[in-house]
Amino acid sequence: MAKWGMVIDLEKCTGCQACTAACAMENSRLPGENWQDVIFFTEGEYPSVQVKWFPRPCMQCENPSCVYVCPTRATYKTEDGFVLIDWDRCIGCKYCMIACPYGVRFYVDEKPLVAPDIRKVFRSNDKHAWNPPWKMPDDREDWKRGIGVQPPGVVSKCTFCYHRVSKAPKGTADLSEHDPGTREYTPACVVACPPTARYFGDLDNPASEVSKMIANKNGVRLLDQLGNKPQVYYLTGPGGAVPSNRAIKPS
Amino acid sequence: MNYFAEPRSFAEVGRYLLDLWRREGTLQFLRLSLTLGREKSVAGEMWKYGTVIGLFSLAFVTYMLATEGGAAFNTSSDGINWGLAVSVYVFFALISSGLTFIASLSMVFGFRDYYPIAKRCVWLAIITLGAGFAVLALELGHPFRMLWAMPAGLQYLSPMFWMGVFYLIDLVLLLIKFDRLWHDDWDSPLSHFLSIASFVAVVLASGMLGLVFGSMVMRPMWYGSFTAVYFILTAALSGAAAIVLATYMAYRFRQENMPELLRGMASGTALPAVFATFIGIALFSVVTRMWTGLWSNLDGLEGFHALVRSPWFHIELWAGLALPFVLMLAPTLQRKARWQIAAAALVLLGMFIDRFQFLVTGQAVPMFKGAWASGLTTYVPSLTEWAMAVLGFAIVFACYGLGEKLFDLAGSPRHQARESAEMKTA
Repeated sequence: MAKWGMVIDLEKCTGCQACTAACAMENSRLPGENWQDVIFFTEGEYPSVQVKWFPRPCMQCENPSCVYVCPTRATYKTEDGFVLIDWDRCIGCKYCMIACPYGVRFYVDEKPLVAPDIRKVFRSNDKHAWNPPWKMPDDREDWKRGIGVQPPGVVSKCTFCYHRVSKAPKGTADLSEHDPGTREYTPACVVACPPTARYFGDLDNPASEVSKMIANKNGVRLLDQLGNKPQVYYLTGPGGAVPSNRAIKPS
Repeated sequence: MNYFAEPRSFAEVGRYLLDLWRREGTLQFLRLSLTLGREKSVAGEMWKYGTVIGLFSLAFVTYMLATEGGAAFNTSSDGINWGLAVSVYVFFALISSGLTFIASLSMVFGFRDYYPIAKRCVWLAIITLGAGFAVLALELGHPFRMLWAMPAGLQYLSPMFWMGVFYLIDLVLLLIKFDRLWHDDWDSPLSHFLSIASFVAVVLASGMLGLVFGSMVMRPMWYGSFTAVYFILTAALSGAAAIVLATYMAYRFRQENMPELLRGMASGTALPAVFATFIGIALFSVVTRMWTGLWSNLDGLEGFHALVRSPWFHIELWAGLALPFVLMLAPTLQRKARWQIAAAALVLLGMFIDRFQFLVTGQAVPMFKGAWASGLTTYVPSLTEWAMAVLGFAIVFACYGLGEKLFDLAGSPRHQARESAEMKTA
C-alpha cells in the first residue's frame, strides 16, 4: 500500500497561487475556503521588511490530531495515508479545526468572506450547501470521503485529491504532471504549479522521486515539534525557509 | 408560599394539572400556568419571565439559524472557531459541576451544616447542565446526528467523547439522586451510593471538559493538565456563587424570609469561609496562569498580552474575584445578606467573563492563515450568539422557578431538622 506524500520546493515556489486557484476549481471551493492556501506574511520592520510566502495544503499527518479528537470518527485516516472526512457522520462540532495545528480545515456555515454571498447567488435545491456553476461530475462526488460540494453544517478540507490519486495504478512510485501516464491521477495543485515546485509520490517507496528529494535535500516538516508528522515535506535550500511559528505580526 | 403541597410523582403532577384545566377552563389554566398559581410568588415570576424571554430568544435564534445558518454567528474558520455559545456551555456545565461539589459537602463528606442547600444544589445542577447542553446543541452543525454518531463512533481517544460520556453519566445520576431526595430518601445505601458516584462522575466530567482544551498542544494557552485542575477549582467557585445567589433569589434577597435552618446557615460564618476559600483559590489560579503566560516567549502565547490589555480581564480580576474575596473575608461584611449577594453576583459575572476570555484568547493566534488573518484575531459575538446566551439563562430561570414551585428545594433530612430543633430546645 502506498503512503502518498507531497514535496514542495520553497526555492521554486513563486507565490503565484495557481495551486490555490486550481484546487478551488477542482474541488468547487467557496471564496476564501482555500483548502490549498499560499500564506503571505511580512518579516522585519521598515526599511528591512521582507514579504514572504508559504504554500500550505492539508499535511495529511501520520499522527493526525484531527482524527484523534473527532468524537464521531467522521475524520479518519486511510491505509494509503489520506486524512478524509465523512460528511454523513460530521456533526459540525469544529473540534478538528481547533486541533489542527496547520489551520487547514473550514466550516461551511460562516459569514461570507466576499460579497455577494456566492452561496445565495448559486442556491442549492438539494442537500448541498450551494450549487456552483462549475463542479466535478456528480459520479465523482463522494460524501463519505469529503469530496465534492459539501452539505451545510460540516467541516471540509484538502483531500490530497483523493478522487484522482486513488485511481493511480498500484505500485506507482510517482505521480507527475509531466508524465502523460500519471497526469490524470496527480493532484490538481501539483498539475497546475507553473515552476514545478510540487512533487507527489509514495513516501514508502525509497525509489520514488519524493523519497529521494526528502533524503538528498533535507526535507523538513512544518511544526515538526508538535508530533503530527506531516506527509507534506518542504525543501528549503539556501533560499527558502519554513516559518518556525504561525507567522503572525508581532503584537 | 406553595400553591399546592409537594407532589410525589410526575403522575401526580399530571393528574393535578388535568384537574386544574377541567376546573378552570383553558384560558384561566394557561394564565395560571404562566404565573404558577393565583398568588404572586418569586417562583412564579422567575418561571413567567424565564419562559417568555426564553421563547422569544428561541424564536429569534431558530429564525436566524433557519435563514442564515451558521453565518448568523461571528465565528470563523480563519480565527475564532468556538465562540460565545461554547463559552456559555462551559460556563453552565461548570456551574452544574460546582453545584454538585457543594451538594457533596453534606451528602458525601458529612458536613451537615450544608444539608439545607443540598436539594436546591442538585436541582440547579440539573437545570444548568440542561441549559448548557441546549445552547451547545444550537451551536452544533448537526446536533441530532451526534446522538447516534458518537456512540457508534466510540472514539475513545477524543477528550470530547469522554466529556460527553461523563456529563451524560453525571446528568443521569443527578436525575436519579433528585428523585431520591424528592422522595425524602437521604440516608439509604442507594442514596449514599448515588451521592458518591455523582461526585466521582462530576470530577471526571469537569476535569474532562478541561482536558478538551488542555490536551491541545497546538493551542499553548490551553495546553496542560493544569487546565483540568483550573476547571475543577473554578467550577467549585461558580457553584458556590450560583447557590448563594439562587437561594437568596428564592427568598426575595432577604434572610428573614428563609426557613430557620437556611437562615442559620446564611448568617453563620461557614458559608463565607467556604466562599472566600474558593475565591482565593480561583484568584491564585487566574494570576499564576497569567504570570506564566506573560512571562513565556513560546509561540502561540501572544493571546495573554491581548488578555492583560483587555478591560474585561481586569473587571474579572478586580471586580469578579478580588472584591468578592475581600467582602467574604471582612468580618463586618461577610455575614450580611447584601454583601453575600453582591459577592455571588460579581463572582458569576467574573466567571462568565473568564469562560469567554479563556475560550477566545486561546484561539486568538490563528493557525497559518496567512494574508487572511495575519495578526491576533478579534471577535465580537453576533446578536444571534447573545440570544443563545440569553436563552441559556432563561432556561435556568424558568426551570428554577418551576422547581421552586413544584419541589420543596429547601428540604433537608428529617433527622437533621429534628436534631437542630432539639439543640434549640436544649
